This record gives sequence, C-alpha cells and structure tokens, in this order.
Amino acid sequence: MRILSLAIAVLSLAILARAEHSAERWWAFTPLKSPLVPKLTAAHPVDAFIRTKLTDKGLSPSPEADRHTLIRRLTFDLTGLPPTPEEIDAFLKDASPNAYEKLVDRLLASPAYGERQARNWMDVSHFAETHGHDQDRVRPNAWRYRDYLIDAFNADRPYARFVQEQIAADVLFPNEPQLMPALGFLAAGPWDESSLRDIREDTIDREVGRYLDRDDMIATAMGTFTSLTVGCARCHDHKFDPIPIEDYYRLQAVFAGVGRGNVAFDLDPKTTVRRAELQRGLKALDANDSEYLKRIATPEFDRSLKQWEAEQTAKANPWQAVEVVSAIAEQGSTLTAMPDGSHRSTHAKRPEREVYVVTFRSKLLRVAALRLELLTDDSFPHRGPGLQDNGNLHLSEVKIVHGKEPVALGTPTSDWDQEGWAVRHATDGNPATAWGIYPKVGMPHEAVFPFAKPIGGESFTVRLEQLHGGGHLIGRFRLSATTEVNAGLTQPLPPSIAETLKTAEEKRTGKQTNELRRHVYRLNLTKELASLPAQQFVFAAAATFEADGGHKPLAKPRTVHLLKRGDIRKPGDEMDPGTLSCLPELPGEFSLDANHTEGARRAALAKWLSDSKNPLVWRSIVNRVWQQHFGRGIVDTPNDFGKMGGTPTHPELLDWLAVWFRDEAKGSLKKLHKLLVTSATYRQASTAPHAKDPDNRLLGRMTRTKLDAEQVRDAILLASGRLDARRGGPSDQQFSMRPGIHVTPTVDYGAFDWDRPEGHRRSVYRFLFRTLPDPLVDCLDGADASQPTPKRNESVTAPQSLALLNNDFVLSCAMAMAKATDVDGACRRLWGRAPTEAERTILAAYAKKHGMANLCRTLMNSNEFLFVD
Amino acid sequence: MTSRRDFLWRFGGGLGGVALAQLLADGATHHAPKAKRVVQIFLNGGMSQPDTFDYKPELEKNHDQPFDPGTKEKVEGVTSVPGKLMKSPFPFRQHGQCGRWVSTVFPHLAKRVDDLAFLMAVASKTNVHGPASYMMNTGFTRPGFPSLGSWLSYGLGRLSDNLPTFVVLPDARGLPYNQKGNFSNGFLPAAHGATILNASANPPIPDLQPSGKYSFATPEADADGRELLAKLNRAHADERAGDSRLDARIASYELAANLQRHAPEALDLAKESKVVRDLYGADDPITGDFGRRCLLARRLLERGVRFVQVWSGAGGPSNNWDNHTDIIRELPAIARQVDQPTAALLADLKQRGMLSDTLVVFSTEFGRQPFTQGATGRDHNQGTSVAWFAGAGVKGGVAFGESDPWSWRAAEGKLYCYDVHATILHLLGLDHEKLTVRHDGIDRRITDVHGHVVKEILS
Repeated sequence: MRILSLAIAVLSLAILARAEHSAERWWAFTPLKSPLVPKLTAAHPVDAFIRTKLTDKGLSPSPEADRHTLIRRLTFDLTGLPPTPEEIDAFLKDASPNAYEKLVDRLLASPAYGERQARNWMDVSHFAETHGHDQDRVRPNAWRYRDYLIDAFNADRPYARFVQEQIAADVLFPNEPQLMPALGFLAAGPWDESSLRDIREDTIDREVGRYLDRDDMIATAMGTFTSLTVGCARCHDHKFDPIPIEDYYRLQAVFAGVGRGNVAFDLDPKTTVRRAELQRGLKALDANDSEYLKRIATPEFDRSLKQWEAEQTAKANPWQAVEVVSAIAEQGSTLTAMPDGSHRSTHAKRPEREVYVVTFRSKLLRVAALRLELLTDDSFPHRGPGLQDNGNLHLSEVKIVHGKEPVALGTPTSDWDQEGWAVRHATDGNPATAWGIYPKVGMPHEAVFPFAKPIGGESFTVRLEQLHGGGHLIGRFRLSATTEVNAGLTQPLPPSIAETLKTAEEKRTGKQTNELRRHVYRLNLTKELASLPAQQFVFAAAATFEADGGHKPLAKPRTVHLLKRGDIRKPGDEMDPGTLSCLPELPGEFSLDANHTEGARRAALAKWLSDSKNPLVWRSIVNRVWQQHFGRGIVDTPNDFGKMGGTPTHPELLDWLAVWFRDEAKGSLKKLHKLLVTSATYRQASTAPHAKDPDNRLLGRMTRTKLDAEQVRDAILLASGRLDARRGGPSDQQFSMRPGIHVTPTVDYGAFDWDRPEGHRRSVYRFLFRTLPDPLVDCLDGADASQPTPKRNESVTAPQSLALLNNDFVLSCAMAMAKATDVDGACRRLWGRAPTEAERTILAAYAKKHGMANLCRTLMNSNEFLFVD
Repeated sequence: MTSRRDFLWRFGGGLGGVALAQLLADGATHHAPKAKRVVQIFLNGGMSQPDTFDYKPELEKNHDQPFDPGTKEKVEGVTSVPGKLMKSPFPFRQHGQCGRWVSTVFPHLAKRVDDLAFLMAVASKTNVHGPASYMMNTGFTRPGFPSLGSWLSYGLGRLSDNLPTFVVLPDARGLPYNQKGNFSNGFLPAAHGATILNASANPPIPDLQPSGKYSFATPEADADGRELLAKLNRAHADERAGDSRLDARIASYELAANLQRHAPEALDLAKESKVVRDLYGADDPITGDFGRRCLLARRLLERGVRFVQVWSGAGGPSNNWDNHTDIIRELPAIARQVDQPTAALLADLKQRGMLSDTLVVFSTEFGRQPFTQGATGRDHNQGTSVAWFAGAGVKGGVAFGESDPWSWRAAEGKLYCYDVHATILHLLGLDHEKLTVRHDGIDRRITDVHGHVVKEILS
C-alpha cells in the first residue's frame, strides 16, 4: 500500500500540480454540462438514464411495488417516520390517477420532512451539543443550529443560499440576524477545550490546537459541500487529487479569524438596527463627539433634562433591605450578620466551593426583583469582595425558592462582568459557568435578579452556589428586594454630576452643562438598550463571540503559515486566504484588498462554494439526496469525489441531475426529492438480487433498507402512541447529569425515566453528548459526532439485539403501546399491514399467554418492522 | 483476508455480505501469530517515568538546578512555568537477572522485571491529555478514529461466540479523559465497538436482561418470544431471497442468548479461590478495585475475549497519574493501587500457561517533566515515557530505547504510538500496513503512514 501510494504520488506529480495542465481532467472537476436525456420510451428522465444502462447489460427493471410498500418506503424516506394505519388506508383507497403524487406533496409539506432532513445534515456536519475531547463540556446554545436546519429544510431554502448562510450568514445577510444560527455549521464539530482554553497561551501545543481546530472547519466545509478530502493536503500535496498543500493552508487562513463560542444575535432585525444605533450613540458620548452633542442638544431634550433633575431630588430608593431569618453556609464557612444588614463570611480553612443558603422575609406586597450587593472588607485579599487570593469570586448559580416553588428568573444585570464570566451565567442552570468581577476587585459590585413575574408572600430562600473551586467565594453580601419591575441597578450619581446639580442652572459652566447632557443622554440610551428584547445565543463560529476564559475573540485574523509536512516546528510562507485551485473555470484566489475584514474571507469562500460554475457542489448535493432514496449514491463515497473515492455508476445522470437541480429547480431540494421519488425506478419492488448485478448498482430493483437508529426510535414512539409533536427549542436530556470529577459531567442513561415527557419527542430533539452517546442509538450505528458521517454503517450484532429486546426505552414503549392497541393494531402500526390469519393465530396465542406488552416488544424486534422493502 | 474484507466493505457496503461476515468468527491473519489475545493496562494521566522506571543519576547530581538541555529547543511546561530539576524522591534499585532499575514505587512489579520488555523512549506528539489519550488509543490526536481494540476485532474477528471480542474495564471512579472516545469504533461498524463493563453496576452489561422495572418481561415470555420472533423472521426472510442481512439478524438473537448464558459466569469473581483473590489484592481497600478488574480481565481472556483494556485512574485533575501538585504524595497513592494486581496478573497468567499466547501491555499517554511544577509536582511531557510488554512473543528482561540524561526527550530508539501499535498487531499476526479501511478517501490504518515493529524485543 505504502509503496503503491508512493508510486502513484510520483506518477501523479505531473498531472497533479495544476489541473489546467492535465490532458484529461478527473470527472469530478470537469465543468457541468447537461447531457441529453436518452431517447427511450420512459416518460421520466431518471428512468431514461437508468433503463438505458439496464438494457445495455441485458437487464430489465422490476415491476412497481404494491401500495403498502410504496407508502411505507416513501414516508420513512421523506419524513423518517412510518405511515399511520389511517394514512395507509387513505392512500389505498385513493383511486385518483395522481394519488402517489399527492402523497409525495403531502409528505414534503409536512414539518416532519424538515426534521428528517436536518438529522441527515447533522450526520455530515457532525453536530453534537458538547465539546468532545477530554473536557466534554455542554454547549447549552447549540440546539439553535438544529432548529435553523429544520426551518431551512421546511422552508425549502434554495441550496446556494443554504450554503452561503452556513459559511457566512453574518457577512452576506447582515440584515437578517435571525440567520446567525446557521453559523453553527462551522462549530458543529469537536473543540479541544484543554488545548484552546486551558493550557498556556504561549505553548506550541496551543498553536497546534489552533491549526487542528481550523482543520476540523475545513474538513467539515469542504467535505460537506465539495465532497473532497482536503485534509489530505495538510502534510503534503494531496497524493491523488489536484490539491496542493498551498490550497490547504489558504483555507486555513479563511478561518483564521473565527473562534467557536456563544454568538449573540437578535431574533428581530429591527432590534439589531436599534441596538447598533444606541451603541453608536454611547460610543459618540464616550468620545465627546461634538457633532453628536450638538445634535442631541434639542430644546425637547433639555426640557426632559429638567424633569430628570427634578426627579433626582424627589427620588426614593426603590430597594428595601430584606429581613434575614437564617443564613448558613453548607461547606463550613460561618456567616455573621453585620450592622449594615450585610453578612460576612469567615472560615477556619477556606473551602474550595461553598453554597450560602439565606432564608428571608420581605415586607413588600409583591417582590419583583432581588438585588445582591457584594461588599468589600479590609480583611479580604485585595479588599475583596471575593475571598480568592486575587479578590475575585465566582457565583455559579442563584436559585430562589418561594414556599416550595422555584422562582423563575428573568435576565439578570450587573454593574460589571469579568470577561467570559457574565452575570447571566449565574442563572443559566450550568454549574460550570459563573459570574465573576475580576479585575475590578477592591470595590463593591451589585447584580439584580428580576423575577419572571412579581410574587406576593413573604418567605423566600435563596441559594448562592459558588462551585468553581479554588476558593472563589463571596466575602460579604447584602440582599434587598423591590416591587419595581424595572428597578435596575442603583447607579449613584457621579460626584461631578451631583456637584453640577447643586449649582444653579444659570451659574453652570458650558462644560458642566455639556457633561450633564451627556450623562442623562447616556442614561437614556442605556435604559433603552436594556429594554430591548434580550439577545439570543447560538454556539457557532464567528469573529465575535462571548469570551470563555483564555479563549477570546481576535481583533484581526491570526497569521497562518504553510507548515511543511504539517509540522508546527517547520513553518513556511505566510498564507493569504483562498480556496482550491483545481477548477480552472473558478479560480481559488480571493484577491481581497489589504485591509479586508475577517468576514470578507468567509464571504469569498461562501460565494465560491455556491457559484453556479462550481461543479463539485452541485454534483455533491444531488448525490447525497440520491443516496437517501436509493441506499447508495450514484457515487458511493458521498464525501469523496477524488481518485480514492468511487466513480459514478451513471455519470450522465449525475450531471443531468446537477444541472436540472441548479437551473430548473433553482436549488429547491423539495423539487429534487419529488423528481427522484416519482421515478419508476424508485417505485420498483425490492425483488431478489439479479446474478448479473448482485449489488444492484444498476438499479434493476429497489434495495431493501434497514431502519437507522432514529427511524427505529421514532417509529416505536409513534406506534406506542407516545410521539409528542412539539417542535424545536432546547434539547431533551434523556439521562441524568451531575457534576463529574472535572469538566465532563457524569451522565447516566440508565437512570432516565421513559415515562417522562422529555423522552417522547422525535430523536432529532435528543441532547447529543459527543463522547457519551446514548447506548441504544450507539449500538444501532448512530452517527459518532467526532467525525463527519456521510453514510451510516449498518451493523448486525448481538448487543444490538439485546438492546432491542431489553432496553428501557423499548420496554417502556411496549407497555404504552399495549394499552393503546390490539394484535391487529400492533401489526398495522409496526408493519404497516394487518396480520394474516395464520399470523394472527400465533400472535394472539402469545399475547394471551404473556400479555400485549411482550407481543409489542417482540414485534419491535421483527425484521418486518426493522427493514423497509 | 484483508482483500476479501475490503471487497465486502466496499462493494457489499450495507448489503448482506458485511453483516454476515461481522457475525462470523474469522481467524485469518497475515502471518503466524505469536499472541492470541491482549490485555492492556492503561495509566490515565501520564505516569511519571523519572520516578518509576527511568533512573537518571544526572537528576540526582543536578537536583534543584535550573534546567538547560543545551539545545535550541525551548523548555516549556504546558500548564506551568518550568521549575528547577528535581531528582526522584523515591530511591531506585536494580532488580532481577537483568538488573533493571525500578524505584520503590513499584515493589511488586520490580520482582517481575525478568518477564518484561521495556520501551524506554515512547514519545507523544502532544502535551495535552485529550489528544494524547486519543493518540495512544487510536493513533490520531483527533477524535473519531477507531481504537486498538476495534481494529483487532475488525482484523481478527472473534475468538468466542459466547462473549464480546473487545472489553473495556474503566476505573470505578469514572471514565478516563475523552470518556468513551478512547474506546470508540470510530468509522468501523458498531460490531467492532467496545463492551464497557462496569463490574460494580447492576447489570454490568447494559441490556443483558430486562430491568426489574418491567416485570412483564419474564424469562418465560422471553423464551417464547424468541421462538415466536424466529418464526416471524424466518417466514419474512423466506419471502425475500438473497438478503443475508435478514439471516444475520436471525443469527444475532442466538448469539445474544449465548451472551446471556455465559456472561454472568464469566463475571462472577466469587468463583475464584481466596488464594487467587488475595494474590490480586481483590479484597484490599487500596488494591481492591483495580485488583478485581485484573482478575476479571484474566477470566474474560480465559473464556475467549480477544482484547481487554484495564484503566487505572479516571479523567480530571486527581486520583489518577496526573501528578501536577506533589509527586511525593500523589504518585505512591495511585501506584500502590496497580502494583500488586498487575504483578499478580502476570504471575497468574504464567502459572496457567496463558502468558505464552497472551500479550500484556502496560502504557500511558505521555511522560512527565524532569523539572518541577510548583514545589514537588511534575507537568506533562510528550518527550518521553516508559511502557512495557510481556508474554506472548516478547523477550523478558530487555529494554529498548533510551531517554536523554534528564528523561526529558527520547534520545535513542524513539518510538511513537505507531510503533507500539505496529508491534502489537505484528504479535497478533497482522501487518499494520495491510490492516486498512477506506474512509473519506483514505485507506486508514491505526499507524497512519508510520510505524515500525520493534523487532528488538521479540523473542
């Protein structure tokens, strides 16, 4: 193998370097031309191509499958679900000539279509909701990419646009901020938190980590959209395909300015516009921009300013200290009540972690928010307010209970957040994140936790969980409550403004008036900013993201060097961003100007990938959709169109489809699906293999398919009457999770109670743990999100059979199903047909002896359920 | 062998051939094997080689001196600023006929050095646990590649129809770095995945029997259900000629029944005598967890499991071999847990005649630094580490390779995981360059494009 590849490498050197010099171009790189549809009697272009080849080999197509088979096949293929008995009956009864076409249209219009297609896309983009690697941290906002996919497929987003959104939605469609979740594509894969956040910034391992991180983005983007294995050029020119090492490192430069993290966005474009205006205003005030000040100094504003002045003197503090009943610390600290209503923490030995539990009463009629003040003390390191050696603290979670009911909290605010440790982390339910105040130590801070709705009644308990470790504890704190819904932070007047207010208006200097205007205008802007709808977050790759410890956004893209033999210690030339050079009709040079932005790089790649002249991209997608319906692509290596991959069995058909999809269907995937499934080829029966074509490469029959893990689960949920149709939103955690020894939580799938509603939605809404996959899905060849899965494996194993017999999910659904149906109903739900007389006899006898639940369980293990003819 | 498998893989992909082939025992190899089965002990966190097997007088001479290797390479600590050189706090002594140096950290293993072939200069390509653990288990620093056990299952097939081929026994305290990623089958079919046995959990093998929560699933219902299922599936397959996947699924229920019958006996350590249990320290509070898992490993190997991986230490910053803070306190604590049981495993295998066709491998993801981190800790070191082989086809009492005078970098006979894996495959009758799978356009090997068999330690 090694010698062989060396020989090929030497041989291909001549053809390899630049494609335009090669006499004969590899099929995948040739321009798309629409071949003529073979002149045959077939009415459908797909059949014309397929039958020509069958005839050439002396084979003939199989007859059309019966209607039972067709509806089961089609419904599973398009929606991932089986047809219900009622849907089957309706289809069987429909005598209209276009009954099948109507069925296709109904399924394509069903929201379940998008859910199925999204799951397929998640295989290729290797989407999961944790980082992977040794610190397999949860990504609480990753699900938004999954919802983006479902929406995009259901809305039938044209493919070129779909490609562009996933590479550069933020740059190409800045006025549609709600598309930001599309960038979850680039961040879908694993992220090495140890290498990229925790180890020292200046180490070689950190730099290696960055190259590998971008390598994953390159492999994902190019594997998904161009079906090429670009990663092979990381150490040397690709041995088989015309991808020189320079191309690879130009792609590295494309992604050199992005990082993976929580990216903020607005659901409403108007909010984004207003937010930007307000932020520009604040910037102008900071800069003392005289033009701006002139503009705001309208008589109307000055009138409102006078009113504000009047309010300052009359204003009462909306916050009222609470009456503390008890304050205890769970890990051995002592909380002492101080004369100012605060509590100070002391300890014999500072605990690593701590939880303060404070029970208090409030005399207020209704409590709308709770304020936490962190106070300094001379006895603390750096005067605190934290007890860590550097004066910092980390508040992991704030939990408030009223009576026995947990109080739902709104978005908290604070006077100051440590970078990467924003106050919203104190209410995000994730014990691994927290609010911190470093480096502003030695001064008091405060945070306000608004209640989702005001609560009357007097007794509350608040838990201040400080779980980060290393003694990041609160030193001294005070709690107060308010009835005002928008009380906000106290924000005392700056001394100079207070001084100005004391001065009579006519005696104020121009500078003082100016400062007062700026101050009040700033308050107005800040207030409006705070009242805008809260920003949402998606785990994505972008230039701007929320800093996470030492992992921070960059001012400008990093420098990328060509690494000789892929070795970090052998850096070569600095590389400019660009893409592949193997398409002479579509140059890979970006020709960006010298001071281009980060986004310009991704935008250029997105345009290259979605160009109508890019043959790879159009061939790649029609081949993927083909694979979905026929079990195997026209090229059987959907992520590799290179020389090491398969060659097309029907090259003319592949090109015809690519051109049709691009030009006629205008990139509509729904139209493409419809074209394929309405062909007679797709509607053939899955008859026995023909000796001349045992693997059915020529499609003289349909290939029987085994249900994949999600189809099995979803079909069982539907059959048991449990399937919950709720769509979208945060993922369902079908396991118990508690803090682990280090970052990775301890996850127990066996502890999940399948009667809970979190267990009843479609599998696409399962929470996906990268290194701790669901055991049932795993043994059914579910996609391993550590690497792209362009095609699922199909195993048959003993552990798989054990799981289908004994897994709690199966048993719990069998029980639910037993209550919902009888012998005939069970067969109709799982097989799509009623049992024969003979079958009914033995099934009923078994059900009588061992109960319906055992019968349902047995049927769930039957091949008739697990395969689709 | 490989060509047939490749053929099935590429051209029968998803069709009958592969499914059936995966279910069948397949003993074909590239050359005559020396070993039939393997047990690997993996020390999670990076065992400190200068404090265990890599004796360095230079460190004693220059203790507490700043470190200057005299080369251009920058001296780096991956999580800390490099401190001064630190001699091992544990005295070293020569042991056995071969005179191998071993510190007092491993008193039991020291007595067995004449059975061991040491690899004294095993380097890694990274100083970070996650990628380094992936590398030592899969040959790649990135996730998603098949682990050694999956490759062996793919290459050699099963030894028994009653038990799984690849079993992992994680530390009772938790999974290692990368969690299940270290034992992933990657892009190989699930048939080659690990069975992760949590011997203390109930049930130890997931889904072996229905949980008690579902009382309707009685043994009688199971037995009759299986009969009914076979009838249904047979009739279904008879109407669909030429699809061996359907037959494979019918056969899989028989294999499942075998596993249900044989696993409980294999896992039952009460069947072992007190003498044997004591040899492994199976009832001692310190050695108990690891000792029981070593004993279980032997029982599984005896009954036809091909590859057992026994882990010492969970992920995270403590209770493993990642001794950043204080070597004096942390290292003996973890070493004591594995020392006696590992020595017992060697003795027991030998006494039962199993060491002649069983390979024992003892390894870690990387080594540790010759200089301090903080007062008495040591940071990660990709430069060199120590591993050893014992048993089938391996010379006893030898050593290959050498680190530099400080045990900072490999100096001679530098090996990577590729060479370690190539040697293991070689002993099992496989040529690492021929054991390939086409994935994403590349013929993937566990050894990537590297790997040399370490002939010097072969008997």
